[in-house]
Amino acid sequence: MKNILILLLGLLLSYSGFSQTQIVGDTVISNNKSKLKVKVYYFHVKERCHTCYAIEENFRKTLFTYFQTELDNGIIDMYIVNCELPENQVLVKKYDAYGSTFAITPYKDGIDMKTIELSNWAYQKVNKPEVFVAELKSKIIDLISK
Amino acid sequence: MFIASTLILFTACNSNNNQKSINAVTDSTNVAQTKTTNIDSVVNTDASKKEANGNQIIQKANTKQSVVLIYNFHVTNRCPSCIAIEKATTKTLDTYFLAEVKQGRIKRQILNVDDKANSAISEKYQAFGSGLFVTKVLNGKETTTDLTGDGFKFARNKEERFIEILKSIITEDLK
Repeated sequence: MKNILILLLGLLLSYSGFSQTQIVGDTVISNNKSKLKVKVYYFHVKERCHTCYAIEENFRKTLFTYFQTELDNGIIDMYIVNCELPENQVLVKKYDAYGSTFAITPYKDGIDMKTIELSNWAYQKVNKPEVFVAELKSKIIDLISK
Repeated sequence: MFIASTLILFTACNSNNNQKSINAVTDSTNVAQTKTTNIDSVVNTDASKKEANGNQIIQKANTKQSVVLIYNFHVTNRCPSCIAIEKATTKTLDTYFLAEVKQGRIKRQILNVDDKANSAISEKYQAFGSGLFVTKVLNGKETTTDLTGDGFKFARNKEERFIEILKSIITEDLK
């Protein structure tokens, strides 16, 4: 009986650990594997230019304006990552993100699906914030509705 | 027999004329090459000279060989990534395309978008900040590849990767 109780307690703790939302700066990672549908990543270097900041600003604006509920509920995880920090090197290698990189990874049944690389797109659209936001919104809606 | 000989003679003369006109194009191309070889000097010339240069490039591209135009756009206050893109572009050209640059088949310009003299070309490429564009010009038709995203992604911390990408695009555009 005691063993079963410990096992149940362990399961409960591990479950709450998985679903606990981490917020570091404005990075929002819920790790809610049952609900998660999309991971959105923006990688940047330490010394950033105006354009790099503008991409992040448009990226945040899109998510906080149109997807706050999905962020709160763990349907979307948002990562803003300094690609030059040692602790981020696993992600950097996985995403081939050695500088400013924008990418979306759909997530299904506990598995990362094929990543959509949007770095060139982001640099093309960054100076038209309304177009950037509208197109990114549309891409994310498309992915979370699948 | 006489008619046949006349025809052969006429054809030969015509062919010779064609050859001359090809030579004439080649000569005018060489003039254009000489004027456009000094890459960085273009940055400091005035807008009319740039336009003249552009026309020469297009004129050259109307021959059967393509010409590749490479534009490094930047703002006045540059970040390390932007500088890295320019350096890696220079390295790519110096390492793999020195001959094509000397021949004038590759024409590279480094342009400050904050300089009013560059406003037309910046507008054309929608370059309002840092940008890297490779344009293939063949028979007056321009095909542009935007490598800005790849530049910012790789040029600073994974230079060899960026050089591979740029080299591959230029090689393809030179075909």
